[in-house]
Amino acid sequence: MKHPLDRENVDNAWCPGCGNFGILKLLKEVLTELALNPKDTVIVSGIGQASKTPYYIDTHMFSSLHGRALPVATTLKASNPSLNVIAEGGDGDMYGEGGNHFIHTVRRNPNIVHIVHNNMVYGLTKGQASPTSQRGFETGVQVKGVHNEPFNPISVALALKAGFVARVNIGNYEHAKTVLKQAFLHKGYALVDIFQPCVVFNKTNTRKWFNSNTHELENDHDSSNLSMAMQKALENDPIPIGIFYQSERHTFEDYFYGDEKKALISVSHDLKKLQGLFEKY
Amino acid sequence: MKNINIPFQANLKDPPVPLPKYKKQQSDGKAQTIDILIGGAAGLGINILENMLNKAFMLNGYFVYSTKEFMSRVRGGSNTVLLRISDQPIYAPCWHVDLCVALDYAALSHVQERLTQKTLIIADESDPVMKDIQKNSIAIPMLETAKDLGDSRYANSYVAGLLFGLLKADINLLRKSVVSSFSEDTQKENETAMHEGYTYSKKLKNISLPALLQTSLIPKSNFHLLDGSSAIGFGSLLGGCTMITSYPMSPSTGVLNFMASISKEFTILVEQSEDEIAAFAMVLGGWFGGARAMTSTSGGGFALMSEGMSLAGVSETPAVIYLAQRPGPATGMPTRTEQGDLNLAIHSGHGDFGRIILAPGTLEECLTYAYLAFELADRYQVPVILLSDQYLADTINMIDNVDFTAYEQRRYIVKSDRNYKRYTLNKEGISPRSVPGLGQGIVGSSSHEHDERGQSTEDYKIREIMVKKRDNKLKRILSEAYKPEIQGKGNIAIIGWGSSKGAIFEALKLLNDPRLFQVHFVWVHPLNPEHIEVLKQNETNIIIENNVSGQFADILKGHGVHIHYRILQSNGFPFFTDLLENELGNIIKDIK
Repeated sequence: MKHPLDRENVDNAWCPGCGNFGILKLLKEVLTELALNPKDTVIVSGIGQASKTPYYIDTHMFSSLHGRALPVATTLKASNPSLNVIAEGGDGDMYGEGGNHFIHTVRRNPNIVHIVHNNMVYGLTKGQASPTSQRGFETGVQVKGVHNEPFNPISVALALKAGFVARVNIGNYEHAKTVLKQAFLHKGYALVDIFQPCVVFNKTNTRKWFNSNTHELENDHDSSNLSMAMQKALENDPIPIGIFYQSERHTFEDYFYGDEKKALISVSHDLKKLQGLFEKY
Repeated sequence: MKNINIPFQANLKDPPVPLPKYKKQQSDGKAQTIDILIGGAAGLGINILENMLNKAFMLNGYFVYSTKEFMSRVRGGSNTVLLRISDQPIYAPCWHVDLCVALDYAALSHVQERLTQKTLIIADESDPVMKDIQKNSIAIPMLETAKDLGDSRYANSYVAGLLFGLLKADINLLRKSVVSSFSEDTQKENETAMHEGYTYSKKLKNISLPALLQTSLIPKSNFHLLDGSSAIGFGSLLGGCTMITSYPMSPSTGVLNFMASISKEFTILVEQSEDEIAAFAMVLGGWFGGARAMTSTSGGGFALMSEGMSLAGVSETPAVIYLAQRPGPATGMPTRTEQGDLNLAIHSGHGDFGRIILAPGTLEECLTYAYLAFELADRYQVPVILLSDQYLADTINMIDNVDFTAYEQRRYIVKSDRNYKRYTLNKEGISPRSVPGLGQGIVGSSSHEHDERGQSTEDYKIREIMVKKRDNKLKRILSEAYKPEIQGKGNIAIIGWGSSKGAIFEALKLLNDPRLFQVHFVWVHPLNPEHIEVLKQNETNIIIENNVSGQFADILKGHGVHIHYRILQSNGFPFFTDLLENELGNIIKDIK
């Protein structure tokens, strides 16, 4: 079905049945329903199947390197705070190669939406374990099954007091849409970890598996309570989905500009003032 | 987004910016210079003494120059400051000195090879070494005096007073400098210490010290005392820099500190990144969003930026990298100097793409070429590396007034229309660059091979076209490259690049041989063949480089230039005027 945000003349490189299609549709619908102008919206991605998303949606894009979407997105947003900035990629990209940037971007709190396609496996490199692969998951490299403790992005983000921490399952589409909308409306860094199946390389964590092993956070979950959020983040049977935690604070751009936000492209230094400063030396 | 105003909008049709005029190195006749070496542990306040004396001698009408040599530690060890005071501009350090002040017991053994029979040694009377030094030495009660005043660091002001007394300079001008160097709570004690030192000097008899020129000194109010890091900072601001993202690393941090200090008064985003990989990615995010961004680093950090260089190359995103070299490989010697990263700068990043490397050698060049780095990065949409080193970054020298309005401001940005394509093909290979939110078009930048829209592609024909497009940029860059600076006429070329400029200039002055002429490269990459024709035609070429292999010599060789002699060094020191004079003298005496 055609959508006004479809990019024309593209050759989509995803496998038939891939969970990425659902996320692409979700993103287009959320942007449209929130009336975010695509000409004021930029998707910054890394490398991997998920990171191909900005090639298929008609917003601005900066397709960067493996793991590097977050630092690019941070200063892009700071250069022009009126842009809507999205950093998007997969679990290997954002939690593996870009793990250090994930930690420090949460600490900086730029006003961006961080979308992570989490299928618990490496797709583009053909089926190795990802940081979120579960113990015992067998691959051509992890031949005895995964030994490493799975990376828990929710509890890591919470430990760093991220302002908006959410997880959704693309198989639960309407719930995912409600949460992603909230992420865009949140002022500050917002993490949305999206469970999605890899139909080729992950025969364990399938669409069906995600559907039967996740459940929406209860109505009485208090998303302003950090310790309750952390407790929920550590549950894994079943895995909770929804908004774990939300709390607004000063953003990276607030810290830099205060109340006078501007686009750096319009800034020129006062050379007379600079000359005066030089002459004090 | 509406009504974004782009100041100084320019395009590629405009000719390259004229290189702002700055004073070239000069000297009239023979200089009268006093060279003072001060040694002491880190934490003793040796840098305060350096700044205090620099300011005071400048107020007295002298040219001053100072350079430090220090260990990679916060306290202790043995560091030195070399001060050169003269009636002529000074451009380089010397190895042997006229006067040596030891602030602690370890200092004299650390510097002994730099002392000659004529060197006057000043040390504390309690220094055990003083017992063995009979000739040309003065034992002074500086530590006792300082301790009586309450803090051993007052010894610095005591030494300053003593030196002013010995050199018969105006103590009132030193007082001004002392007062401005300390906060109110220690001003009085420092002034007293200064006076004690001054008074003590007047009691000393039969001191043999070369005299400082006392007459026809011109007030130096037109001059400013600056280190290389600050000059790079001012140049970057002239270049419109609005963002610096860096991971601290010696000896590059001076620029980060400078920009941070100035960010309270100017709109500059300063962010300390989690690593150098992020620092570079942030620079690209900045330029992509419309900022003029830079990062500062040294060799080890720049090694991590290699992937970012490649991304800047393929995505044609401008970037400015200030790379202050120190001796490698790996950790090497963090606080020492070397010119060993030229090859790294030229070859960093996988794949073929253009870049520009600029290696300034004086404060004037630091300022001008830092400005140019931003202009060139924007104009050609390539990464530009400013190649400095520890010596240039930390050395304090005098710079004449600079007219900041002479630096033409330009921004190569277009508003996009509906049909905008980021990588539009044209003859130049340089597509008009827009940024997100500026106009009706979509800006797509890509790390993949891509088509004109920025969509990734594996089409072999588009691949070839895009590779050629990026390669074409190089032709334009080469045709607009700045020439090396040639001083003098003769048939023996003394070739250098970057920070060795001053030492070569002074060595040539001392040798005073009409056969010698200096060829100084700031624009070190890519080289325009026409610019090196002079070396191809020349009889004898001697290169001077602060690295073990002669990295630039090999590049010139690749261009067909015959290099007859290489003077190389890799001991962590800069080149010293007097040592270079000897070494060069030994080579040229055999040349007919």
